[in-house]
Amino acid sequence: MHRLRYLLGLLTLLAAALGGLWLQRALRNLDEQPGVALQVEFREARGLRPGAIVRHRGVAVGVVRAVALSPDGDKAVVQVLIEPAAAAHACVGSAFWIVTPRFGGLADGLSGLDTLVRDAYVAFATPSPRGSPLPPGSLITGRERPPTDSESLEPASHGDLLMTLLVPENHGLRPGSPVVHRGVATGDVRSVALAADGSHVEVALRIAREHRATVTDKAVFWIARPQLSGALLSGFTVQDAASLLSPFVGYHVEPGAGVLVPDGHRAAAAANRPDFELAPVPASAVKSAPAVAKPATGNDGVVVVRVVYAAVEKDTFSPDDDIRRAGSGLLYVDRSGRAVVITARSLVDASYTEPDGYGEPEIADEQIKVVLPGGAVLRAGRVWVDPDASDLAALVLDGAPPDLVGTAADRLAFADDLVSPQAPGIVRRVGPDGTPLAPVAIGNTALQPEALGAVFIGDGKARAVVVAADRAAVTDGAASLVNVVWLHRVPAELRPQGL
Amino acid sequence: MTDAAITFASFGLAHRRAGCEEMLLHGVDLALPAHGFYAFVGASGGGKSSVLRLLAGLVEPREAAPRVDGDLVVLGQSFAAGFPPALRGDVAAILQDEGLLDERSPRANVELALRLADRSPLLAAGLLAQVGLEHAPDEIARLSGGMRKRLAVARALASSPRLLLCDEPTAGLDPSGARAIAALLRDAHDQDPRRTTLVITHDLPAFAGRLDGALVLDRARRTLRLEGPGYEPTSADTAPPPGAGASEASETLHGLRTLLSQAAAFSESLLEAIRRLPPLELGEVARATWRACVEPAPFVALGGGVLGGLATFFALKNNPLHGGMESALLTGTGKVALAVLVPLLAGFFFCARVVAGAAARLGAMKRTNQIAALQMMGAQPANLLLTPLVWSMAVGMPVLTVVACVAATFAGLLAAAAASGTPAGGFVHAWFAAITGRDAAVVLGKAALSGFLVAVACWHLGAGPKRSSADVGLAVDRAIVAGMAIVLTAHAVATFAEYS
Repeated sequence: MHRLRYLLGLLTLLAAALGGLWLQRALRNLDEQPGVALQVEFREARGLRPGAIVRHRGVAVGVVRAVALSPDGDKAVVQVLIEPAAAAHACVGSAFWIVTPRFGGLADGLSGLDTLVRDAYVAFATPSPRGSPLPPGSLITGRERPPTDSESLEPASHGDLLMTLLVPENHGLRPGSPVVHRGVATGDVRSVALAADGSHVEVALRIAREHRATVTDKAVFWIARPQLSGALLSGFTVQDAASLLSPFVGYHVEPGAGVLVPDGHRAAAAANRPDFELAPVPASAVKSAPAVAKPATGNDGVVVVRVVYAAVEKDTFSPDDDIRRAGSGLLYVDRSGRAVVITARSLVDASYTEPDGYGEPEIADEQIKVVLPGGAVLRAGRVWVDPDASDLAALVLDGAPPDLVGTAADRLAFADDLVSPQAPGIVRRVGPDGTPLAPVAIGNTALQPEALGAVFIGDGKARAVVVAADRAAVTDGAASLVNVVWLHRVPAELRPQGL
Repeated sequence: MTDAAITFASFGLAHRRAGCEEMLLHGVDLALPAHGFYAFVGASGGGKSSVLRLLAGLVEPREAAPRVDGDLVVLGQSFAAGFPPALRGDVAAILQDEGLLDERSPRANVELALRLADRSPLLAAGLLAQVGLEHAPDEIARLSGGMRKRLAVARALASSPRLLLCDEPTAGLDPSGARAIAALLRDAHDQDPRRTTLVITHDLPAFAGRLDGALVLDRARRTLRLEGPGYEPTSADTAPPPGAGASEASETLHGLRTLLSQAAAFSESLLEAIRRLPPLELGEVARATWRACVEPAPFVALGGGVLGGLATFFALKNNPLHGGMESALLTGTGKVALAVLVPLLAGFFFCARVVAGAAARLGAMKRTNQIAALQMMGAQPANLLLTPLVWSMAVGMPVLTVVACVAATFAGLLAAAAASGTPAGGFVHAWFAAITGRDAAVVLGKAALSGFLVAVACWHLGAGPKRSSADVGLAVDRAIVAGMAIVLTAHAVATFAEYS
């Protein structure tokens, strides 16, 4: 009887010991919260206290564990703990800084005003493209001031002109500095970097798509600095007075001079503002309203549009694959008034091209976008694929404008009266911004990149679509594309009235 | 064996104390013939009461048990593996503190004993008449010493025991009263020819002419002997016990035994509390729960109201920001008050009031042998005492928490109106803005859990060994401290786990 009681007592003590052990471990785990611990060195950690918040894009993603001096006393070392969910955003190249009230000059004004009533906190920003995530325990050198936030720049959008300006010296340009034409901001500076050999400074510029046409190879660029000109008697003129507050890139081009420049254009800036006379407003501009940009139909009435496709292929045993494809398609309005794009199925249907060694490939997050000749980007949905497994698909545009101009019905040939592919004809494609590229002959191997869905025009009519000769090869990007599918496979309800 | 009521075979008994074992009896070989009426005499402190408690199955489970050697056979049942359960209805003891349940009337005491012995409660009147208590007062507290002894005899006879043990039944009575009790015991003995009666007494004259023999505890030789009816105590028999009765025993071993016993007692309390959850005595459970909910309610409501009112008043008064800030302040105050502070305060008040009361009641019952009496009647004291305790506290604590929260809300309403003129609708909206159903569940859950654990602690401390009134006071002290610690811990852990 008493032996049993002693046993029960022993079990109780054992349970208490185990419970104590568990509690101790739980408490220790509590102390070692999950997350990535990093050390950031600052010249000084003024105002920062343990428990202060770490923010990324204004969201609290971590906490300051400790603030201490470095062993040599030269730095303040701040131990921060980033939450696991946000740890992937603290990458090699991320900038850490302490947010305290700060006066950033006339142009930037005051920042960090929230820390007047709150404790100072640590913020970090990660440039894009991001590096690999920082391993736990990394020692990072923090910045003494917020990075000039290229982060806050709006991302370059489709069709923007991205070019590089070479300047002898950077007069205070920073990411975000405006690019100005005739006093109107047409773009901004993306980055400023010294050339590798130190001979000049390379300034990356973005010109918004709607102002692309203002930049030609004859454009003259300069970095604006205030300039005083004139004489005592005639009075003075201050040029570029706005640059007193914030320097900017200016450019000027004589109307109609030069040809438009492609992306990646490099231009050298003038050392000083060139002396030019601004021409008066042309009389034609006064007379007529600005011409509405008409869709470029090409000179043959066939409207070819750019088709962009994105999807994710889910894999069971390996990371998911992003699928990105771009090509062309034939746009027209069908009998029920829908804007239809006929293109290669291998361009817009990943399930058609992806190998299905382990059963049906799983395709998710499919997005199809169509760039109209005017630059508008519309969403499109796949409405038909050729049941005979030829490489042909039909899309219908979502929210097409009522005044959409498609290929005229008399420029389409759905009939069986085929001409031979070797018959005289051209292939029409579009470039990345939706503008037509120069037509090429069908046998031209230069056609290959991004030519899926290009339109074969024979005898003045759109007759076929360029497809992959081997659909499985599309995945590898090694498709031989010189194959066409004739349009007579398109069902009647997807054709214009009477065809 | 049929002619021996109690047989000692090489029987030895020793108290285990820190660092030594105090030998009381050694190598006793004796058979006490059945159906006799014996006095049990010997010097004080010789171990008579220990033998009697052993025979009655009243060994205190929370302490190091006395060491028993050899064998003891009572009514044909061996004590080799502890008190034989089959004896429970056959042995009755009248302890020095009679162990009368003072919350019941004298008649109800007898009725309970009858019911527990599976006999008709209607026999109570006859038993009371037999001991001369037909016209007894209705409350135990109003009984005289002699009446208490008589009532104890009546209750002991309720189960018509085959072995009736009495510990000093005439103590504290005048000679005539003592003789009356002695006569009563002899009459009761003669009523049942199967009965054997053993009476510990120092008052042999009171029993003169009524004894069939005397069991003498010879302290010097640490043995028992049976004398005839005409036994007169010799000086050797009444001499104080020799000092050298102790034998060395390992202090470490004793400490270990004590530690294990205490740990086991702790687990037993918890296991018992879980095992006794299904209420057998529904009426008792309901009454206890009702008492635990209603009696402290005004006190707890007052406390909750003061806390809620003060918190609201000072939150608004010390932060003179107008406009949207007030409702933000009230939202925070409401959440903190209703989810954390007021439940904690209600738990503390509950401990100070209900837990202390229950621990005192249990301790007093233990001290006055009421729990032992229940045990001897064949009742499970835990069924009668622990189950209502657990239910009343596990239900009472959440109910009182709700009462305190409601009071805090009303007081907050008044305080907000006084401090910044907040209208009732706006106050309620802000006050409850951050409270979700989950918060309510957590609050009630932690209140119920701490109520249960506090009940366990209360039982553990209250029903533990009580040698003196000081032990009772100490148990109450400890129950309050342990209860508050439990409430604090349960609230801290639950709150931390939920909101961190």
